[in-house]
Amino acid sequence: MLTTRRLLDTLKQIGISHAVGLPDNSTAALFHALADDPDIYLITVTREGEAFATAAGLWLGGQKPLVVIQNTGLLEAGDALRGTLIRMRLPVLCLVSYRGYKSLAARANSPLTPDELSRRDIDSVAALLEPTLRAWTLPYELVSDNADAEKIIAAQQRAHEQNFPQVIIIAETIH
Amino acid sequence: MLTQAQFLEPLARHRTDQIVISAMSLVRAWGRLSKHELDFAFTDSAMGHAQSLALGLALAQPQRRVICLNGDGSMLMSLGALVTIAQCRARNLILFVAQNNTYEVTGNQTTPGAGAVEFHQIAFACGFPEAFHFSDAREYERALDKILYLQGPVLVAVRLEPGAEPPPNRKQTEDTPYLRGSLADAAHRLKQALQNEG
Repeated sequence: MLTTRRLLDTLKQIGISHAVGLPDNSTAALFHALADDPDIYLITVTREGEAFATAAGLWLGGQKPLVVIQNTGLLEAGDALRGTLIRMRLPVLCLVSYRGYKSLAARANSPLTPDELSRRDIDSVAALLEPTLRAWTLPYELVSDNADAEKIIAAQQRAHEQNFPQVIIIAETIH
Repeated sequence: MLTQAQFLEPLARHRTDQIVISAMSLVRAWGRLSKHELDFAFTDSAMGHAQSLALGLALAQPQRRVICLNGDGSMLMSLGALVTIAQCRARNLILFVAQNNTYEVTGNQTTPGAGAVEFHQIAFACGFPEAFHFSDAREYERALDKILYLQGPVLVAVRLEPGAEPPPNRKQTEDTPYLRGSLADAAHRLKQALQNEG
């Protein structure tokens, strides 16, 4: 289980100053906690593309932002991500919740097909998430338990070493 | 209606140590007037996100004013960002919207709602404490000095004649220095300049 407390502690440990994003069901507890947290400034946006551009500005201004969005929003915001964090080579962490992760058990471990993307039992945004991240050359890690918090710390370190954004996929609801 | 020169030249004269983010057709035009190290050419603005980049800078650097030079076509792509900016109470952010009613860099195709959209009214409705609109060059220049030091966020819509700027590409042979080098080079240069200035 991944808890809000552990996640917040980890974000503070790596020095996150601002969280910019849009909540969904699986990150709702985190957003509630961030809204009350005195150390990390929460900025909720109207569309996910704003989150990447705002985070870029925060980083250029000397802060250490985090983007928190759902995988649906990641697809919606593709060009904003490309035109900011990727093109500018900014070492910003992005927490992306994995809507439909469990539905992926219904599909074979093979390249996606048009039929799979329209099946009722597969959430197409889940099926598209990891192939999309790979196509955008974005390094990512799956996190689903408190024991995975170390992956977040390692991703932040890699972001700085590579001057490049890193994605943390949240595969389970945060409690 | 103002010309692009009537819009930008007074602003260049009044500008002191503000960060200036420019986008699309305003990138080269601003670069011809200013060579300041706190100028940043957000060339294609990632399709309408210049104001959000400026918001992030304004929140990160509350002691410094941030000016965003945006086009109306770009602004229309992300009107929701005005709500975010107002919600964040970015007091040091001044957002200019150059309203020429066209997508200038692609050949002046008409924007949706051309001529009818009142950006200053939208800004007020989103919660901006200050918003202005100008279609007269003298009125604009008279008000500018005061506007630049208001508690924001401030939106300033300026009615402009359509221009003929091409897309603001980056290349080493550019006349405007801030268009030389990659977007990544420019971004990291701006961060360094802000760090140097403290």
